[in-house]
Amino acid sequence: MDLVTMREKLDKKEISAVELTQSYLDKIKEKDKELNSYITVCEDAAIEQAKAAQEMIDSGNAGAFTGLPISVKDNICTNGVKTTCASKMLADFVPIYDATVMEKLNKEKIVMLGKTNMDEFAMGGSSQTSYFGGVKNPYDTSRVTGGSSGGAAASVAAGLCAAALGSDTGGSVRQPASFCGVTGLKPTYGAVSRWGLIAFASSLDQIGVLANSAADTGYMLNGIYGRDFNDATSSAKSKGDYTRLAGTDISKLKIGIPKEFFDGVTDEVKTAVLKAADYYKALGCELVECSLPSLEYAVSAYYLISSAEAASNLSRFDGIKYGYRSGLGEDFNDLIKASRREGFGDEVKRRIMLGNYALCSGYYDAYYKNATRIRTQIRKEYADIFEKCNVILTPTAPTTAYKIGEQEHDPVKMYLADICTVTVNIAGLPAISTTCGYGENGMPIGMSLTGRAFDEQTIIAVCDRFERDFDRKEARI
Amino acid sequence: MRYQPVIGLEIHAELLTDSKVFCTCQNEFGGSENTRVCPRCSGMPGTLPLLNQNAVKLAARAGIATDCTVNKYSAFDRKNYFYPDLPKAYQITQFESPICTNGHITVVGGKDIRINRIHIEEDAGKLVHDDYEGVSLADYNRCGVPLIEIVTEPDFRTIEEVQDFMEQIALRLKYAGVCDARMEQGSLRVDVNISIMPVGSDVFGTRAEIKNLNSVKAIGRAIAYEIERQSEILDNGGTVVQETRRFNDNHGNTKALRSKEEAHDYRYFPEPDIPPVLFTDEELEEIVNSMPEMPQKRFARYTKAYGLPSDDASLIISNKDFSDFYDETVKINPDYKQVSNLMLGELLRNLNDSGAAVTDLKFAPSDLAKLVEMSSGSTVSKNAAKDILKIMFDNGGKPEEIAKENGFIMDNDASGLEAVIDKVIVDNADSVESYKSGNAKVFGFIMGQAMRLAGKGANPKLIKDLLTEKLK
Repeated sequence: MDLVTMREKLDKKEISAVELTQSYLDKIKEKDKELNSYITVCEDAAIEQAKAAQEMIDSGNAGAFTGLPISVKDNICTNGVKTTCASKMLADFVPIYDATVMEKLNKEKIVMLGKTNMDEFAMGGSSQTSYFGGVKNPYDTSRVTGGSSGGAAASVAAGLCAAALGSDTGGSVRQPASFCGVTGLKPTYGAVSRWGLIAFASSLDQIGVLANSAADTGYMLNGIYGRDFNDATSSAKSKGDYTRLAGTDISKLKIGIPKEFFDGVTDEVKTAVLKAADYYKALGCELVECSLPSLEYAVSAYYLISSAEAASNLSRFDGIKYGYRSGLGEDFNDLIKASRREGFGDEVKRRIMLGNYALCSGYYDAYYKNATRIRTQIRKEYADIFEKCNVILTPTAPTTAYKIGEQEHDPVKMYLADICTVTVNIAGLPAISTTCGYGENGMPIGMSLTGRAFDEQTIIAVCDRFERDFDRKEARI
Repeated sequence: MRYQPVIGLEIHAELLTDSKVFCTCQNEFGGSENTRVCPRCSGMPGTLPLLNQNAVKLAARAGIATDCTVNKYSAFDRKNYFYPDLPKAYQITQFESPICTNGHITVVGGKDIRINRIHIEEDAGKLVHDDYEGVSLADYNRCGVPLIEIVTEPDFRTIEEVQDFMEQIALRLKYAGVCDARMEQGSLRVDVNISIMPVGSDVFGTRAEIKNLNSVKAIGRAIAYEIERQSEILDNGGTVVQETRRFNDNHGNTKALRSKEEAHDYRYFPEPDIPPVLFTDEELEEIVNSMPEMPQKRFARYTKAYGLPSDDASLIISNKDFSDFYDETVKINPDYKQVSNLMLGELLRNLNDSGAAVTDLKFAPSDLAKLVEMSSGSTVSKNAAKDILKIMFDNGGKPEEIAKENGFIMDNDASGLEAVIDKVIVDNADSVESYKSGNAKVFGFIMGQAMRLAGKGANPKLIKDLLTEKLK
C-alpha cells in the first residue's frame, strides 16, 4: 500500500492507526526472526504512538505522517530508545534527545515500529558486520541485503514497515535498496539535517529514505527536509512539495549516460540499465553519452576521506563517557585501548586504522590531501555533465545481491563494489535507486538517477515514471 | 659562556561570551561540577557543533587590538587526541586558516614583537584526581569554553620584553572587551617557548616549552630559571632536549612533563561540521569602528596632548573603566592635571580601601568635573575638595550641595578675618614672639590656629596673606 493510499484510509477511518500498527508488528513477529532487519522493535511504544495518532486523526488534526508506521535506522538518535549503530560499543546507548528528522515526524505523531539493523557504524555494504547478527535478503534469505541500511531495505521489502529512514555515506541507502528491490533516495548533502545522525563521515553522511516507490520517498522527504539551526551544514535551498510529480514533463529531459559506470558491472546489470535508458528514449528523452573520467580514483578518494573522518568521529567512543567500557586497564590509556579493542568490530577497526594513517603527518599530503583534490575534480566533472544533462542514469551496484559469506573475506573487493554510488556522496548530489530488472538468480537489479544539487524533484519524477510501467516482483518471504 | 635567550609565547585567552563556543551552555567561571554541560559540549553521539558568532567577533577584535590582519576567510580543523577531559577526543581549533595573522606589539625599548597568528579554539574539561579514593573524576564545565590562542614569533630576548608584552596584551584584550585577562583564574594563560644560544650567534638552540604560568611575575621567574638551567647544561657540554616543562611556583623551578618523542601526532584535518568563517569588507569595517581607543593610543594622548607624567598616564589607563571615567571628566573640565591628581589621589585611595569598582561609583564624571572646578576656582579649598570627594564616594550627591551643607564654601571676604587673626596673635603671644625672633617654623603652628578659629569655609590663602602681613 503506498503512503498516499494509507493516508486516505486512515483519514477516512477505513483502518485505525492502532490496527495498522498492530498488523505491522504482527508481521515483524512472524518474519523478522529470519530476516533480522530490526535490532529493536518498539512494540508497546508503537501502540501508544498509534493511539495518540488516532486521537489526532479523530480530532481532525491529522498531518501527512500521522499514524504512518515506519522503521528507523539504528544510527539515528531516538529519545529514550536504544540507538546502537549495530555495535557492541553502543549496545546500551539510549539517547536523551531526538534527531531532527524524528522531531519533525514526531510532531505529526508518526509511529516508529523499531530501529533497523545495519553494518556496524554504517561501515559496509552487506549488513553482515552488525554486532547483532547479519540481515538476510527477503528475496532470498541466503543472500545479503546490501548495506549499510540493509535492515531498512529488508524491512521495506518484506512489508515490515510502510517506509524507512536510512543513511547514505557512500551508497548505504541506494545499494541495499537495489539489492532488496525497493526504492532508495539519498537527498542532496545539506537537504536533511544530520543532527542526531551518529556520524560516520560528516562531509558525506546524509539521511535518506527507503520505500516501496519513488513517490513514497518523495512523500517522506517532504517531512524531513529543511534548514536546521542545529546543523550548520544544512541548507535552506530545498523547497517545494516532493509529492507533486505530475507537473514534471519527462519527455523533454536529457539523460546522461556516463560510460565509465558501465565498465566494471556484470552484463545483466548493464543490459537492464540500458533497457531502462531505452524506455526513457521511447518517452522522448534525449540520451546523452557523457563521461566522468575521475571515476577510477573515486573509490580510493572516498575511502580515504570517509575513513579519516570516521577515525575522528569514532574517537569519542573511548570507554570514558559513552558506551562500552572494558574491565581491563590500570590507567586511562589502557582503559581506552581495551575498550576500543573489545567494543569495535573488525571492519570498524580497519577503517579507523586506514583513516588515522591517511591523516598522519608525513602521509597527509599523499593521502588525505590528494583525496580532497580528487573530490574537487569529481565535483567539476559532474558540473560539466549537468551543463548538458538534467539527470544521470547509472547502475546502482556492479552486481545483484551475493551470497552471505561470499565476499566478506576480501575487504578491498567489497570497497570496489561501491564504485557506482560513492561519487554522488563525494559531490554531495541527490540520487535515487529503483529496481529496473532481475538477474538470472532472480535478484533485483538497481539503477540510479542522479540529479543536480537540490533538484530531488526531477529525479523522483523520472524514477516515478519508470516505476509506473515496471512490473516489480514481490519479495518471496 | 654568555648566552642569549630566545623566547616566543603562546597565549590562551578565554573569550567574554555569554555562552560556550559550540553550544548554548553558559560560559562562566567556577560553579558545581558538570552543571554547565549539554549533549553538544559533552560530545553526545549524533550532536553537531554550532559556532558562536560572538566568539568569532571577539576573536576578530583581538586581532584588531594587536594590529593583526583579520582574514576574510578562516576555517576550523580538528586536533585529534585521547584524553579523558576531552569527550569528543578531538579539539575543534583553527590550524590551516586562522582568523587573524601578522600582528605586532611594540615593547620596552621600542622593539616590535611580531604576532604570527590568533586562532579560535575550544577549551577542554578538567580532571580532578582523588588520591584518597584512587579515582579521577571528570568535570566538563570548561568543555567548549571559547578561547583564542595568540602565537608570537620568537622575538623576545629579555624577561622585561616578555613581561611588558604580557601587561600590554592583557590590557588591550580588556580594552577590546575580548577577555577579562585574570591570569590567576586562568582566563589568560601563557606557555613560554625558550631556548638559548651563545651571544653573537644567530642559530637558535633547542627550545623547551614551559606551561602553568599564572602571573607576570611567575613568567619572569620561570624564564630566569630556564636560562640558568639551559646555560648549565650547555656549559657542561650537554644538549638541551626539546620537551614540555611545568613551572612550580612554590619551588621556583621547572620540571619535565613530556619529551618530543612522546609528543602527539594530532592528525589535523578540516572540521566538516562547521562551514568556513567569512567576513565582508563591510562587516570588518563595522568591527573596526566598534573598537574603543586602545590603551597605547590613550597613553600617547595623556602624555603628549594632556601633558601628564608617564607614570600617572600608565596608572590611569591600567584600568579601562577608571580611564573612561577620567576621559568623561576632562571632556567637561579639561583641567587634565588636577582631574588626574584628584582621581589618582583621593578617588583611587577610596576605591582601593573599599574594593569597589569604578562602575559602582555613586557620582558621575560631571560631578567630579564640577568639584575640580570648585577647587581650582577657590570655591573650596584643596583639603575640602578631598573631604567632599569622600562624601560623594560614600553617599553620592552633588559637590555644590555637599560643600554648602558642610560649610566647605570658602569665605573669600578678608574683612571678617582680621579680628580672627588679631585674636590668634594675642592668644599665642609666645609663638608670635618666637617667630619674630627668627624661628620661621612656628608660622605653620600659628597658621593652623588661625585656620581652626576661622572655620571650614576659610580661605587659607587669604589667612596666610593677612597673617604674614600682621607678623611683619
